This record gives sequence, C-alpha cells and structure tokens, in this order.
Amino acid sequence: MRETRFIHIFILILLLAFPFRVNSQEVPGPDENIPFLITFGPEGRVTSWGDDDFSQTFFFTIPKDYKDPFYIRIYDADIGGKTDELNNFWDTRMQYSVYGGKGCYTDPDAKGINPTGNYKSGTLLATRTFGMDNKLDERWFTFGPFNPADGEYYPKFSSNVFKIICDGISGDDGNLYKYFLSRRPDANVPIQGANAFTYEYTFRMWNNNDTSFVSHIYPYIDSGCIYIKQRNFDWDNDGDFVVVSVERKGQSLPLSGEDQWTESRMPILDAEIGKSLDFRFYKKKGDLVKNNNVVISVENQYGENLQFFSAPIGGVPVYKPRIKVIPKK
Amino acid sequence: MRRHITYTAVIFIILLTFPAGLRGQAKGAFEVYRMPELSSGSDDMAPVIMSDGILFCSNRKVNPFLTKKNLEGIRLYGLYFAPFNEEGKPGKPVLFAPNLAKDANIGPASVTSDGNTLYFTRNYLEGKKLKKTDSNKLGIFTAKRNGSQWTDIQPFEYNDPAYNLSYPFVSADGRYLFFSSDMPGTLGKYDIFMCENADGKWTKPVNLGNTVNSEAAELYPFLHSSGRLYFASDRPGGFGGLDIWYTRLAFGSWTRPVLLDEPINSKADDFAFYAVQGSYEGYFSSNRRKDGDDIYRFATTIIRWSVCDTLKKNNYCYEFIDENALKNDTMDTKFRWEWTFGDGAKADGVTSEHCYTGPGVYDISLDIVNLITGGIEKRQASYQLEITDVEQPVISSPDMIKAGEALVLNAAETNLPGMDVARYYWNFGDETASSGLEVSKVYTLPGKYNIQLIVSSKPGAGGVVREVCVCKDIEVTANGN
Repeated sequence: MRETRFIHIFILILLLAFPFRVNSQEVPGPDENIPFLITFGPEGRVTSWGDDDFSQTFFFTIPKDYKDPFYIRIYDADIGGKTDELNNFWDTRMQYSVYGGKGCYTDPDAKGINPTGNYKSGTLLATRTFGMDNKLDERWFTFGPFNPADGEYYPKFSSNVFKIICDGISGDDGNLYKYFLSRRPDANVPIQGANAFTYEYTFRMWNNNDTSFVSHIYPYIDSGCIYIKQRNFDWDNDGDFVVVSVERKGQSLPLSGEDQWTESRMPILDAEIGKSLDFRFYKKKGDLVKNNNVVISVENQYGENLQFFSAPIGGVPVYKPRIKVIPKK
Repeated sequence: MRRHITYTAVIFIILLTFPAGLRGQAKGAFEVYRMPELSSGSDDMAPVIMSDGILFCSNRKVNPFLTKKNLEGIRLYGLYFAPFNEEGKPGKPVLFAPNLAKDANIGPASVTSDGNTLYFTRNYLEGKKLKKTDSNKLGIFTAKRNGSQWTDIQPFEYNDPAYNLSYPFVSADGRYLFFSSDMPGTLGKYDIFMCENADGKWTKPVNLGNTVNSEAAELYPFLHSSGRLYFASDRPGGFGGLDIWYTRLAFGSWTRPVLLDEPINSKADDFAFYAVQGSYEGYFSSNRRKDGDDIYRFATTIIRWSVCDTLKKNNYCYEFIDENALKNDTMDTKFRWEWTFGDGAKADGVTSEHCYTGPGVYDISLDIVNLITGGIEKRQASYQLEITDVEQPVISSPDMIKAGEALVLNAAETNLPGMDVARYYWNFGDETASSGLEVSKVYTLPGKYNIQLIVSSKPGAGGVVREVCVCKDIEVTANGN
C-alpha cells in the first residue's frame, strides 16, 4: 500500500515536473470548456444566484526549475459591462489577492472549501480591489511580475505554489472572470509545466440549451482513495452530470436544484487511482437555464478535499472498453 | 454299485435338436478357443470364476481303481477347482470340497460375490444304494465357507424331491436367485425361475414367463452386469442342440430372447455361458468336438475403446461482454453499447448474445452511443473472433429410434483436418460392429446404446496410424407393434 502510494506520488511529480506533459495556466482550462469563473458580492448573503460563499481560491504551480518572473493575468477583472451578471445596479467590489511564501498552500485552512480561518495564509504579494471599470471590461489586468522563489515550495509537486483569492467585498452582482499564468505581462504566454487547481469550483455554465455544450472538471484520484463524495450546489437541475474514467463510462450522478446542495458517493475502481476522473456536465435540452452559476467540490473517504486541475493529471481520461467473448454452453 | 441317478442335465436334453436359423448379429464378434488345461477327455462344463480360480464340474476319472457311475453307466459328476497361476491361467484341476456330495452327482454351482456361500446342484439322495425304480432328482443346496472348508450344507427351501431344481445362479448383488426346474408351473420341459431376496429369505420362485421360457428346456441362467440374462435352450430357431440366448428386463418385462451368433453357438450343444462381470469375455461349454463336453473361453474381437470422447456439439453462440462496464455494479449510465457482430447482425447492451450460422472469422466492433447528445463513438473496441468446428469424428443420426427400425448412421460431417481417413468403424454398443462412411443398424431390444465411431487414418510416416473415437448414446424405444 505504502509502495503504491509512492508510485502515485512519483507519477504525480513527473507529471508536474515535466513541462511537455502538462501545460495549462488558463483557468478555466481548455479541456474544461467552462466559459467563466464567477464570484458574487456578499451583500445579503444571497446564495441563490449560484455562489455559496462569495469567494474563490485557485492555486498555481510553477516548476522549481522555472526561475524567470511571471505574471497572473485576470480577464474582465471589473464588475460591470458586458460579461458580468447585473443585480439591480452595478455596486459590487471584488478583491483579488495573490499569496506566496510559507503556508500559502500548506496551511490547512488554505485547502478548505470555505473562506474561513486562515484561508488567506502565506505572504500577501499583491492585492487590488475592483468595481465597475470600463477600461477593464473584457480586457486583461496583470498582477506581477512575481519571482517564482516567492511561492511556497511543495516537494510533492516539485513546484512553487502561489495562491490567488477572489473575494466579494460588497454589492451583490456576479463577477465573471478568467485567469492566465503568463510569462509576459501583456500577453498570455504559458509557462511550460505549470498548472492550476482548486478545491471548490464556482463557475458559469454555458448559456445554451444544447446538450453538445459540455463542461468538464477533472478531480485527481490519489492513492488510497476508496470512494469519493461529490457535493454540488444550485445546479437548477440543468442537464446531466456523468462521470467518465478509463474504466467507467457515463455513470450518472445527481445534480442539485435551485439554491440547494446535493451530494452522492461513488466507489473508486483500482484503475482510476493515480488518474483523473472526467466530470461531465451536459446542458439541458429544451427550456434554457440562463446564467446558470454552479458550485462543486469532491472529498475522499477521509473528508480530504480533492483537487480539480485545469490540466487534468494523466490527461483527459478516455474510457476503453475491454471485450470478452465467452462461448455459450 | 449301481445307483439310480437321475441327472437331468444338459446331457439328457442335447439329443433334442431343432431346425436352426441365423439371426442378424454381425459375425466374428467373438473369438473362442477350447481350454485344454481344463479338459479331461470326459465331460467338463459349467465353469464359474471363484476368487482365485475356476470352479467347474466334470465326470472325469480320478481314481483308476474305482469308478462311480449312475444307473446309466455314466461316471458321477463332481466339482473341480483349477487355481489361476501367476500368469492368470488355470492350473491343474483338483477335486473341490469332496464333502459336498457322497456318491451323488454334484453339478453346476454359483458363488455369492463375497465368496462365502456356494449354491450348487446335487442329487437329493446321496450315499445310498438305489434301485432302478428309485427317483433321485436334482435339488439346490448351499454350503458356507469355513476357512478352507465348505460346511453347513443346507437344502434350498423350495426343493421338492419330486422335481428337479438345478443350475442356480446368484446375482452379483445377492438380490436374485435364478435356477432351472420342472417344478409345477413349468411351461415346457425346464423353465427358468427366479426368487428375490427378502430380508435374507428367498421369495417363492416365479416363472420368468413364456417370453423367456418355451415348450423346450431353458437351462443355465446367468445374469451379467450388463443386465442381460443368458441361458441355454434347445428351442426352435437356434443353430442346433442347445444354444445360448439372452434376454433382459425392459419396462418390467423380459424381452424376446436373442440368439448369440457363431462362433459361440454352433450346431452342437452350447451352454453354461459365463462372462466376467463388467466385460465381454468369459467361458461356455460345448460338445462341438464330438468327444464330450469341453470348456471354451471366449473374448470379443469387436473394437471398443474403454475411453472414448463424447461427441461434442459445435458451438456458434457466444456472449459478448464489455468487462470494464461490468465493473460498475450500480452503474446508471447515459450511454448505450452497440455491438456489430461481423455477420450483419447487431445488438445493444453491455452484455449481448449472438449465434452465428457457422464457422468463420468475424470482426466484432463496439460503438458507444451517448444517449444525452445522440453522438456515436465508433469502434471503441474491436475483436476478431474465429469460429471453427470441433475437430472430431462426427456421428450424424437421430437420438432416438424404435426397436426394429433401421437406424442410419453417417460420418460424412467428420472434421479431422489433415487426416487421410482409411476407415470409419462403428461399434453399435451391443457387441456388433460395422464399417463404412454410412451404415445402418437395427436394434431388436429397447434400451440405451452407446455407439462408438472410431476413425483410422492411412499409415503415415513410419507407418503410424492415427485413431480417433467419439461416442453417442442412442435411445431405442419399444416398438408398439
């Protein structure tokens, strides 16, 4: 068991360390097909818009061998204009903060799914608060430069880890945005071998009533995992939630209704250990569920939250049938 | 010392001869040879195997100075035992248990399977001088083994000095006792009767009925482990004199007796058939050499494999499984598995079944349909299935037929690639055989017959002949006619 765990850690290190294997610093990632991240202003603590805690944390991993300055870029950082979600009038302020240094990732509160305790652990490297700002509407804002050495080195990943938190400060509008970890301040140039992950994903579904619009997230199944428990919030019963892996084809899991949590457990197969699952979210055909914002997290049998990597560890899992032919007697 | 001895054995009946006729048994099924080691120049007959030797009866001369004869001047019969030597052949016969009879004929005997009880034929009266007018018929007696001695001689409870009861045979399981008698209830000269063992007592003798017993004499009953009851009879329809016939129980009735073929039967008297239980070799007696009765050994010449493969059915039906999908025992899926079997047929399901029409190479592919989007993921997996017929001789025939009807057996579908067949040999399971690609067989008795088809190749390199055997059971039912 211990040996198996080491093997999986080794594989994970390899995947994180070798840049030609993992190369996505766009959040949401291209394999996820998610249009936007979303965080709402906390006024009134209204969760029915699709945000349970008005805060979202992402981590970036930068291979230890990468020494050059880098930047964290935010698309449509302001709250207002074309791509955000208006609630009466634009009055929302949103704070983005970048953390590095010791504890920015390893502090237990940092790995939680709720913005409580010391979730802002580590060293604050940069922060800025945005309201309505037409100059940033549908444009990129850049944090940095940052020195990779200012992150928290995490041996298991062989990477320096940085954290970015988007907190709703005031107001009640929805902030739609994306991130990009870039080598350059004025363009999105990826860092080879870097990746991004979160423990709780709050995102916007496609505004479409076409089942061909499928969003994915990829929880990584570490060694020792026997079963997982997924929790999703405010899905408005919008379509289907199915799981695909190398040995699992389209197992259905339940989706939540309006302003509700739903959870379910699913046993993990041996072949799924050390790989990613493909959580697929198909939009509902028929009546359009417009501006559907949703939340999802996954934990193992110990209650430990699992990471959703923007670039799935082990690649996008592909189901492979195995045909067995038995003569009839 | 003249004694009035009425020894109603075969020697008194053999003079009666009837027209003989051949029956439909294949000739040459057995080879027979006289056993000189048991022959004396006198009459030697009715051998049975008893533990480590052969027990038989004979009227041979044992004392050059004293000869005991019956009233007709024929030497008295005694029991003799010839122990098997190291090679399994009978050695020099010695007089067996002289205490069983004193100045009387003692004849055919039967031993229980535990070897502890001897049933034998003997004159009722012994050790007495008899007048010519005295009657001294044959009865059945028993003796118990006591070490090397046979003691406690007891008469059979249904003995009656007014009638002959002779040639006892106890079945291997000890349940039945057969004998011949002219006791009341006899249909002909001598009939075969049967008693059943009920809690250690023999039930009242029952005549086997007019299917088995005729107006002639039926003698020397012997029940083989195959279920056949062999006996000798001088009834019409035989080869001449006494011949050996067999019958068996089918559906509670004894079947019409079947005549054994030459060379076991002959124009002379052939009787006292005894086969080793579980095989088709044994002994019988005959006076075909015209110099008295001799003991003969017989063995089948028909080829029959002791281990023969059962005819296997070609299988063209298969179950197709996506093993990975089956791992999710509670899977509620939004996908459909679509199988294409390579012969134009299709089916849905994580598991599916399909039967092909014959051998061939088939490309199986598996598409997976997304039930949410309707999209088809083509050829997610593929499999090449090669179906071949079983390499074996093939017996083509009905599984059931009525007695008396012709059963046609055909080997044309034999599938033995690379084998240059020289002969198709058929063993019909009733000690008859034939050869040929297609043969016909008529069973006269109902029952289940195990048919063997033995295919031999022409000699290959080094003169090696390859042989393969398959077998098949045929049910022969009674013909209502």
